[in-house]
Amino acid sequence: MGVSSKEFWIKVVGFLPLLILFFISLNGSSVINIKFFSINIHYILVYYWVLRHPQSLGYGFIFLSGVISDVVLGLPFGINSLSLLFVAGVAAYVRVVTVRITLVNDWISFIPALLFANFVYFVSLYYSNISVEYIYLLKNSVFTFIFYPILWGLFSLFVNLIKS
Amino acid sequence: MDTSREDVGISIRSAFLRKGTQQRFSLFALTVVSILLIFLETIEAKPLNVIRSIIKDFVYRSAVVATYPTEIFSGSYNLLQKHINLYENYNDLKKQNEDLKNERSKSDFLELENSQLRKLINEQVKLGSNLVSARVMLDVQSPYINSFIINIGANKDIKNGMAVLDGENFIGRIVDVNFFSSRILLITDLNSKIPIISEPSGNHAILSGHGSTEPTLEYLSKDHKILDGDKIYTSGKEGIFSPGIPIGEAKIKKDTIKVRLYSELNEITFVNVSLKSIKENR
Repeated sequence: MGVSSKEFWIKVVGFLPLLILFFISLNGSSVINIKFFSINIHYILVYYWVLRHPQSLGYGFIFLSGVISDVVLGLPFGINSLSLLFVAGVAAYVRVVTVRITLVNDWISFIPALLFANFVYFVSLYYSNISVEYIYLLKNSVFTFIFYPILWGLFSLFVNLIKS
Repeated sequence: MDTSREDVGISIRSAFLRKGTQQRFSLFALTVVSILLIFLETIEAKPLNVIRSIIKDFVYRSAVVATYPTEIFSGSYNLLQKHINLYENYNDLKKQNEDLKNERSKSDFLELENSQLRKLINEQVKLGSNLVSARVMLDVQSPYINSFIINIGANKDIKNGMAVLDGENFIGRIVDVNFFSSRILLITDLNSKIPIISEPSGNHAILSGHGSTEPTLEYLSKDHKILDGDKIYTSGKEGIFSPGIPIGEAKIKKDTIKVRLYSELNEITFVNVSLKSIKENR
Protein backbone atom coordinates (compact mmCIF):
# COMPACT_ATOMS: atom_id res chain seq x y z
CA MET A 1 0.00 0.00 0.00
CA GLY A 2 2.29 2.79 -1.18
CA VAL A 3 1.37 6.43 -0.98
CA SER A 4 1.05 8.09 -4.40
CA SER A 5 3.03 11.26 -5.03
CA LYS A 6 -0.23 13.25 -5.30
CA GLU A 7 -1.36 12.07 -1.85
CA PHE A 8 2.07 12.82 -0.49
CA TRP A 9 2.00 16.40 -1.77
CA ILE A 10 -1.53 16.91 -0.48
CA LYS A 11 -0.28 15.86 2.96
CA VAL A 12 2.73 18.17 2.69
CA VAL A 13 0.57 21.12 1.61
CA GLY A 14 -1.84 20.29 4.45
CA PHE A 15 0.98 20.97 6.90
CA LEU A 16 1.62 24.41 5.44
CA PRO A 17 -0.53 26.38 7.96
CA LEU A 18 1.36 24.63 10.75
CA LEU A 19 4.69 25.44 9.12
CA ILE A 20 3.74 29.11 8.70
CA LEU A 21 2.54 29.21 12.32
CA PHE A 22 5.87 27.96 13.67
CA PHE A 23 7.90 29.94 11.15
CA ILE A 24 6.40 33.27 12.21
CA SER A 25 6.79 32.34 15.88
CA LEU A 26 10.45 31.39 15.56
CA ASN A 27 11.17 34.30 13.27
CA GLY A 28 9.61 36.80 15.66
CA SER A 29 7.58 38.15 12.77
CA SER A 30 4.09 37.54 14.09
CA VAL A 31 3.51 41.29 13.81
CA ILE A 32 4.43 42.80 10.47
CA ASN A 33 5.32 46.48 10.54
CA ILE A 34 5.53 48.32 7.27
CA LYS A 35 5.84 52.05 7.86
CA PHE A 36 2.48 53.08 9.33
CA PHE A 37 0.88 49.64 8.99
CA SER A 38 1.06 47.03 11.70
CA ILE A 39 -0.63 43.67 11.17
CA ASN A 40 -0.76 40.68 13.47
CA ILE A 41 -0.46 37.73 11.09
CA HIS A 42 -0.52 35.28 14.00
CA TYR A 43 -4.09 36.19 15.00
CA ILE A 44 -5.39 36.07 11.42
CA LEU A 45 -3.74 32.71 10.75
CA VAL A 46 -5.08 31.11 13.93
CA TYR A 47 -8.55 32.60 13.51
CA TYR A 48 -8.99 31.54 9.88
CA TRP A 49 -7.74 27.97 10.28
CA VAL A 50 -9.52 27.22 13.54
CA LEU A 51 -12.72 28.65 12.07
CA ARG A 52 -12.61 27.01 8.67
CA HIS A 53 -10.24 24.03 8.86
CA PRO A 54 -9.67 23.11 12.51
CA GLN A 55 -8.13 19.77 11.53
CA SER A 56 -5.11 21.65 10.08
CA LEU A 57 -4.20 23.52 13.24
CA GLY A 58 -4.29 21.76 16.59
CA TYR A 59 -4.83 23.76 19.78
CA GLY A 60 -1.69 22.19 21.22
CA PHE A 61 0.36 23.59 18.34
CA ILE A 62 -1.22 27.01 18.76
CA PHE A 63 -0.28 26.95 22.45
CA LEU A 64 3.27 25.86 21.61
CA SER A 65 3.71 28.54 18.96
CA GLY A 66 2.53 31.13 21.50
CA VAL A 67 5.16 29.97 23.99
CA ILE A 68 7.84 30.13 21.27
CA SER A 69 6.71 33.67 20.38
CA ASP A 70 7.00 34.67 24.04
CA VAL A 71 10.55 33.34 24.24
CA VAL A 72 11.65 34.99 21.00
CA LEU A 73 10.03 38.34 21.83
CA GLY A 74 11.24 38.28 25.42
CA LEU A 75 7.83 38.26 27.05
CA PRO A 76 6.87 36.19 30.09
CA PHE A 77 5.87 32.63 29.16
CA GLY A 78 2.19 32.17 28.44
CA ILE A 79 1.13 35.67 27.32
CA ASN A 80 1.04 35.05 23.60
CA SER A 81 -0.31 31.52 24.00
CA LEU A 82 -3.17 32.81 26.12
CA SER A 83 -4.03 35.52 23.56
CA LEU A 84 -3.87 33.03 20.68
CA LEU A 85 -6.03 30.53 22.56
CA PHE A 86 -8.64 33.25 23.07
CA VAL A 87 -8.60 33.94 19.33
CA ALA A 88 -8.96 30.20 18.73
CA GLY A 89 -11.76 30.05 21.32
CA VAL A 90 -13.82 32.75 19.60
CA ALA A 91 -13.20 31.06 16.23
CA ALA A 92 -14.33 27.70 17.64
CA TYR A 93 -17.48 29.31 19.09
CA VAL A 94 -18.30 31.05 15.79
CA ARG A 95 -17.79 27.74 13.97
CA VAL A 96 -20.30 26.05 16.27
CA VAL A 97 -22.99 28.74 15.89
CA THR A 98 -22.71 29.57 12.16
CA VAL A 99 -23.85 27.51 9.23
CA ARG A 100 -23.02 29.58 6.15
CA ILE A 101 -19.44 30.46 5.29
CA THR A 102 -19.18 34.08 4.19
CA LEU A 103 -16.38 36.56 4.40
CA VAL A 104 -18.62 39.16 6.10
CA ASN A 105 -19.61 36.71 8.88
CA ASP A 106 -16.02 35.76 9.50
CA TRP A 107 -14.84 39.35 9.34
CA ILE A 108 -17.37 40.72 11.82
CA SER A 109 -16.85 37.88 14.26
CA PHE A 110 -13.12 38.60 14.10
CA ILE A 111 -13.75 41.84 16.05
CA PRO A 112 -14.54 40.14 19.41
CA ALA A 113 -11.63 37.76 18.83
CA LEU A 114 -9.26 40.69 18.41
CA LEU A 115 -10.73 42.54 21.37
CA PHE A 116 -10.47 39.52 23.68
CA ALA A 117 -6.94 38.67 22.56
CA ASN A 118 -5.63 42.22 22.90
CA PHE A 119 -7.34 42.64 26.25
CA VAL A 120 -5.65 39.49 27.54
CA TYR A 121 -2.34 40.66 26.03
CA PHE A 122 -2.66 44.09 27.58
CA VAL A 123 -3.63 42.83 31.06
CA SER A 124 -0.85 40.23 31.12
CA LEU A 125 1.77 42.76 30.04
CA TYR A 126 0.46 45.31 32.53
CA TYR A 127 0.99 42.90 35.43
CA SER A 128 4.41 41.90 34.08
CA ASN A 129 5.69 45.49 34.40
CA ILE A 130 6.33 45.75 30.67
CA SER A 131 5.45 49.08 29.06
CA VAL A 132 2.55 49.00 26.66
CA GLU A 133 1.96 51.60 23.99
CA TYR A 134 -1.81 51.85 23.80
CA ILE A 135 -1.88 53.72 20.49
CA TYR A 136 0.29 51.07 18.89
CA LEU A 137 -1.93 48.29 20.24
CA LEU A 138 -5.01 50.05 18.88
CA LYS A 139 -3.38 50.73 15.51
CA ASN A 140 -2.31 47.10 15.31
CA SER A 141 -5.85 45.87 16.05
CA VAL A 142 -7.40 48.18 13.45
CA PHE A 143 -4.96 47.20 10.70
CA THR A 144 -5.20 43.50 11.58
CA PHE A 145 -8.97 43.78 11.20
CA ILE A 146 -8.71 45.68 7.90
CA PHE A 147 -6.15 43.25 6.52
CA TYR A 148 -8.19 40.13 7.41
CA PRO A 149 -10.13 39.86 4.10
CA ILE A 150 -6.89 39.83 2.09
CA LEU A 151 -5.48 36.87 4.00
CA TRP A 152 -8.95 35.27 4.07
CA GLY A 153 -8.92 35.38 0.26
CA LEU A 154 -5.39 33.99 0.06
CA PHE A 155 -6.11 31.15 2.48
CA SER A 156 -9.41 30.29 0.75
CA LEU A 157 -7.59 30.19 -2.58
CA PHE A 158 -5.02 27.90 -1.05
CA VAL A 159 -7.71 25.58 0.37
CA ASN A 160 -9.48 25.44 -3.03
CA LEU A 161 -6.17 24.56 -4.68
CA ILE A 162 -5.69 21.64 -2.31
CA LYS A 163 -9.25 20.45 -2.89
CA SER A 164 -8.94 20.63 -6.66
CA MET B 1 -35.19 33.53 26.30
CA ASP B 2 -34.02 30.60 28.46
CA THR B 3 -33.64 28.41 25.40
CA SER B 4 -31.39 30.95 23.66
CA ARG B 5 -29.30 31.33 26.81
CA GLU B 6 -28.98 27.56 27.01
CA ASP B 7 -27.93 27.49 23.35
CA VAL B 8 -25.15 29.99 24.01
CA GLY B 9 -24.03 27.93 27.00
CA ILE B 10 -23.99 24.75 24.98
CA SER B 11 -22.05 26.45 22.17
CA ILE B 12 -19.44 27.85 24.57
CA ARG B 13 -19.08 24.47 26.28
CA SER B 14 -18.77 22.81 22.91
CA ALA B 15 -16.12 25.27 21.73
CA PHE B 16 -14.02 25.39 24.88
CA LEU B 17 -14.41 22.08 26.68
CA ARG B 18 -14.67 19.51 23.90
CA LYS B 19 -11.52 18.39 22.19
CA GLY B 20 -13.12 18.77 18.77
CA THR B 21 -12.05 17.29 15.45
CA GLN B 22 -8.63 15.69 15.65
CA GLN B 23 -7.70 17.85 18.67
CA ARG B 24 -5.69 16.29 21.46
CA PHE B 25 -6.26 19.02 24.02
CA SER B 26 -9.30 21.10 24.89
CA LEU B 27 -9.04 24.88 24.67
CA PHE B 28 -10.02 25.18 28.32
CA ALA B 29 -7.19 22.93 29.51
CA LEU B 30 -4.61 24.82 27.45
CA THR B 31 -5.94 28.19 28.65
CA VAL B 32 -5.51 27.03 32.25
CA VAL B 33 -1.95 25.87 31.46
CA SER B 34 -1.19 29.31 29.90
CA ILE B 35 -2.46 31.14 32.97
CA LEU B 36 -0.37 28.83 35.18
CA LEU B 37 2.69 29.60 33.05
CA ILE B 38 2.14 33.34 33.49
CA PHE B 39 1.94 32.90 37.27
CA LEU B 40 5.03 30.66 37.28
CA GLU B 41 6.96 33.48 35.59
CA THR B 42 6.56 35.56 38.73
CA ILE B 43 8.22 32.88 40.88
CA GLU B 44 12.01 33.09 41.16
CA ALA B 45 13.30 29.64 42.05
CA LYS B 46 16.52 27.98 40.91
CA PRO B 47 14.94 24.86 39.34
CA LEU B 48 12.45 27.04 37.46
CA ASN B 49 15.21 29.35 36.23
CA VAL B 50 17.21 26.35 35.00
CA ILE B 51 14.20 25.03 33.07
CA ARG B 52 13.53 28.50 31.61
CA SER B 53 17.16 28.84 30.54
CA ILE B 54 17.14 25.44 28.83
CA ILE B 55 13.88 26.21 26.99
CA LYS B 56 15.12 29.66 25.90
CA ASP B 57 18.49 28.35 24.71
CA PHE B 58 16.73 25.64 22.70
CA VAL B 59 14.19 28.05 21.17
CA TYR B 60 16.89 30.61 20.26
CA ARG B 61 18.96 27.98 18.47
CA SER B 62 15.87 26.78 16.58
CA ALA B 63 14.99 30.38 15.74
CA VAL B 64 18.45 30.92 14.24
CA VAL B 65 17.79 28.04 11.84
CA ALA B 66 14.29 29.33 11.05
CA THR B 67 15.56 32.83 10.24
CA TYR B 68 18.08 31.64 7.62
CA PRO B 69 15.64 31.96 4.66
CA THR B 70 14.63 35.51 5.63
CA GLU B 71 18.25 36.48 6.25
CA ILE B 72 19.24 35.23 2.80
CA PHE B 73 16.32 37.13 1.26
CA SER B 74 16.98 40.37 3.14
CA GLY B 75 20.72 40.05 2.42
CA SER B 76 20.08 39.73 -1.31
CA TYR B 77 17.65 42.65 -1.19
CA ASN B 78 20.18 44.86 0.62
CA LEU B 79 22.88 43.90 -1.87
CA LEU B 80 20.60 44.84 -4.75
CA GLN B 81 19.71 48.15 -3.10
CA LYS B 82 23.40 48.94 -2.59
CA HIS B 83 24.10 48.26 -6.26
CA ILE B 84 21.23 50.47 -7.35
CA ASN B 85 22.42 53.33 -5.13
CA LEU B 86 26.09 52.88 -6.01
CA TYR B 87 26.56 56.12 -7.97
CA GLU B 88 24.64 58.20 -5.42
CA ASN B 89 26.66 56.69 -2.56
CA TYR B 90 29.90 57.33 -4.41
CA ASN B 91 29.12 61.03 -4.70
CA ASP B 92 28.08 61.24 -1.03
CA LEU B 93 31.24 59.50 0.11
CA LYS B 94 33.40 61.74 -2.07
CA LYS B 95 31.86 64.80 -0.45
CA GLN B 96 32.20 63.30 3.03
CA ASN B 97 35.84 62.49 2.36
CA GLU B 98 36.58 66.09 1.42
CA ASP B 99 34.83 67.34 4.55
CA LEU B 100 36.74 64.86 6.72
CA LYS B 101 40.05 65.94 5.24
CA ASN B 102 39.23 69.49 6.22
CA GLU B 103 38.20 68.45 9.73
CA ARG B 104 41.26 66.27 10.26
CA SER B 105 43.71 69.05 10.86
CA LYS B 106 41.36 70.54 13.46
CA SER B 107 40.94 67.21 15.29
CA ASP B 108 44.71 66.57 15.34
CA PHE B 109 45.16 69.82 17.15
CA LEU B 110 42.34 69.04 19.60
CA GLU B 111 43.80 65.60 20.31
CA LEU B 112 47.15 67.12 21.14
CA GLU B 113 45.55 69.71 23.34
CA ASN B 114 43.47 67.01 25.06
CA SER B 115 46.51 64.85 25.89
CA GLN B 116 48.35 67.85 27.27
CA LEU B 117 45.42 68.76 29.48
CA ARG B 118 45.12 65.16 30.72
CA LYS B 119 48.79 65.25 31.71
CA LEU B 120 48.15 68.50 33.49
CA ILE B 121 45.45 66.98 35.70
CA ASN B 122 47.40 63.70 36.15
CA GLU B 123 44.59 61.60 34.75
CA GLN B 124 45.49 58.01 34.05
CA VAL B 125 43.77 56.80 30.94
CA LYS B 126 43.01 53.12 31.35
CA LEU B 127 42.46 51.05 28.29
CA GLY B 128 39.64 48.65 28.93
CA SER B 129 40.35 45.06 28.05
CA ASN B 130 37.30 43.90 29.96
CA LEU B 131 35.11 43.41 26.93
CA VAL B 132 33.70 40.12 25.76
CA SER B 133 32.70 39.86 22.12
CA ALA B 134 29.55 38.11 21.03
CA ARG B 135 27.67 37.41 17.84
CA VAL B 136 24.09 38.58 17.37
CA MET B 137 22.02 35.43 16.85
CA LEU B 138 18.60 37.03 16.57
CA ASP B 139 17.55 40.57 15.91
CA VAL B 140 14.02 41.14 17.20
CA GLN B 141 13.07 44.69 16.22
CA SER B 142 9.60 46.05 15.97
CA PRO B 143 7.86 49.18 17.31
CA TYR B 144 7.00 47.03 20.32
CA ILE B 145 10.16 45.14 21.09
CA ASN B 146 13.74 46.03 20.24
CA SER B 147 16.20 43.44 21.40
CA PHE B 148 19.10 41.26 20.32
CA ILE B 149 19.85 37.70 21.31
CA ILE B 150 23.59 37.04 21.58
CA ASN B 151 25.43 33.73 21.65
CA ILE B 152 27.04 34.02 25.09
CA GLY B 153 25.47 33.81 28.51
CA ALA B 154 26.29 32.53 31.97
CA ASN B 155 29.05 30.42 30.37
CA LYS B 156 31.04 33.66 29.79
CA ASP B 157 30.16 35.32 33.10
CA ILE B 158 27.50 37.57 31.59
CA LYS B 159 25.16 39.12 34.15
CA ASN B 160 22.00 41.19 34.02
CA GLY B 161 22.57 44.93 33.71
CA MET B 162 25.90 44.80 31.87
CA ALA B 163 26.45 47.47 29.23
CA VAL B 164 26.57 46.34 25.60
CA LEU B 165 28.62 48.24 23.05
CA ASP B 166 28.91 48.32 19.30
CA GLY B 167 32.58 49.11 18.95
CA GLU B 168 32.84 51.84 21.57
CA ASN B 169 29.25 53.04 21.39
CA PHE B 170 26.59 52.14 23.91
CA ILE B 171 23.63 50.28 22.37
CA GLY B 172 21.86 48.59 25.27
CA ARG B 173 22.07 46.42 28.35
CA ILE B 174 21.73 42.75 29.25
CA VAL B 175 18.26 41.94 30.62
CA ASP B 176 18.08 38.16 30.49
CA VAL B 177 20.88 35.63 30.84
CA ASN B 178 20.63 31.94 29.92
CA PHE B 179 23.40 29.32 29.84
CA PHE B 180 24.48 29.91 26.25
CA SER B 181 22.57 33.03 25.23
CA SER B 182 21.50 36.41 26.55
CA ARG B 183 19.01 39.09 25.63
CA ILE B 184 20.05 42.69 25.08
CA LEU B 185 17.44 45.39 25.61
CA LEU B 186 18.34 48.00 23.00
CA ILE B 187 18.21 51.71 23.85
CA THR B 188 15.43 52.12 21.30
CA ASP B 189 13.10 49.75 23.21
CA LEU B 190 10.02 51.13 24.90
CA ASN B 191 11.25 49.82 28.27
CA SER B 192 14.76 51.27 28.03
CA LYS B 193 15.61 54.22 30.31
CA ILE B 194 19.29 55.22 30.49
CA PRO B 195 20.74 58.13 32.53
CA ILE B 196 22.86 60.32 30.26
CA ILE B 197 24.90 63.49 30.25
CA SER B 198 25.22 65.89 27.34
CA GLU B 199 28.46 67.51 26.26
CA PRO B 200 29.42 70.34 26.20
CA SER B 201 26.18 71.60 27.80
CA GLY B 202 26.60 69.21 30.77
CA ASN B 203 22.90 68.53 31.33
CA HIS B 204 21.67 65.32 32.91
CA ALA B 205 18.63 63.50 31.50
CA ILE B 206 17.08 60.10 30.89
CA LEU B 207 17.36 58.59 27.43
CA SER B 208 14.06 56.93 26.77
CA GLY B 209 13.29 54.47 23.95
CA HIS B 210 10.03 54.60 22.03
CA GLY B 211 10.39 51.74 19.56
CA SER B 212 11.59 54.09 16.82
CA THR B 213 15.20 54.44 15.67
CA GLU B 214 15.77 57.66 17.61
CA PRO B 215 15.23 57.64 21.41
CA THR B 216 14.38 60.91 23.16
CA LEU B 217 15.71 62.81 26.16
CA GLU B 218 13.33 63.08 29.11
CA TYR B 219 13.36 64.63 32.58
CA LEU B 220 15.54 67.51 31.41
CA SER B 221 15.72 70.65 33.51
CA LYS B 222 13.68 73.54 32.09
CA ASP B 223 16.71 75.76 31.63
CA HIS B 224 18.84 73.16 29.84
CA LYS B 225 21.36 74.33 27.29
CA ILE B 226 21.40 71.36 24.93
CA LEU B 227 21.98 72.34 21.33
CA ASP B 228 21.65 70.47 18.08
CA GLY B 229 24.69 68.22 17.64
CA ASP B 230 25.62 67.98 21.35
CA LYS B 231 27.27 64.66 22.20
CA ILE B 232 25.35 62.27 24.47
CA TYR B 233 27.20 59.95 26.88
CA THR B 234 26.16 57.59 29.67
CA SER B 235 26.32 59.49 32.96
CA GLY B 236 26.95 56.46 35.14
CA LYS B 237 24.53 57.91 37.67
CA GLU B 238 22.62 54.69 38.23
CA GLY B 239 25.85 52.99 39.31
CA ILE B 240 25.65 50.17 36.81
CA PHE B 241 27.34 51.47 33.67
CA SER B 242 30.63 53.28 33.45
CA PRO B 243 30.25 57.00 32.75
CA GLY B 244 31.32 58.50 29.44
CA ILE B 245 30.30 55.77 27.00
CA PRO B 246 29.30 57.54 23.77
CA ILE B 247 25.71 57.06 22.62
CA GLY B 248 24.88 59.61 19.93
CA GLU B 249 24.18 63.23 19.06
CA ALA B 250 21.28 65.46 20.07
CA LYS B 251 18.82 66.36 17.36
CA ILE B 252 16.32 69.03 18.35
CA LYS B 253 12.93 68.67 16.71
CA LYS B 254 10.28 71.15 17.87
CA ASP B 255 9.83 70.53 21.62
CA THR B 256 11.47 67.11 21.75
CA ILE B 257 15.14 66.29 21.78
CA LYS B 258 15.88 63.15 19.88
CA VAL B 259 19.20 61.32 19.85
CA ARG B 260 20.74 60.25 16.58
CA LEU B 261 22.61 57.07 17.56
CA TYR B 262 26.22 56.54 16.51
CA SER B 263 25.47 52.89 15.77
CA GLU B 264 23.17 51.66 13.05
CA LEU B 265 21.28 49.02 15.02
CA ASN B 266 20.03 47.18 11.93
CA GLU B 267 23.54 46.45 10.74
CA ILE B 268 25.14 45.06 13.88
CA THR B 269 26.55 41.53 13.72
CA PHE B 270 29.00 41.56 16.64
CA VAL B 271 28.76 43.35 19.98
CA ASN B 272 31.00 43.86 23.01
CA VAL B 273 29.71 43.22 26.49
CA SER B 274 31.42 45.29 29.18
CA LEU B 275 32.20 43.12 32.20
CA LYS B 276 33.86 45.95 34.11
CA SER B 277 30.98 48.00 35.37
CA ILE B 278 29.28 45.50 37.61
CA LYS B 279 32.49 43.93 38.95
CA GLU B 280 33.83 47.33 39.88
CA ASN B 281 30.66 48.40 41.60
CA ARG B 282 30.49 45.30 43.77
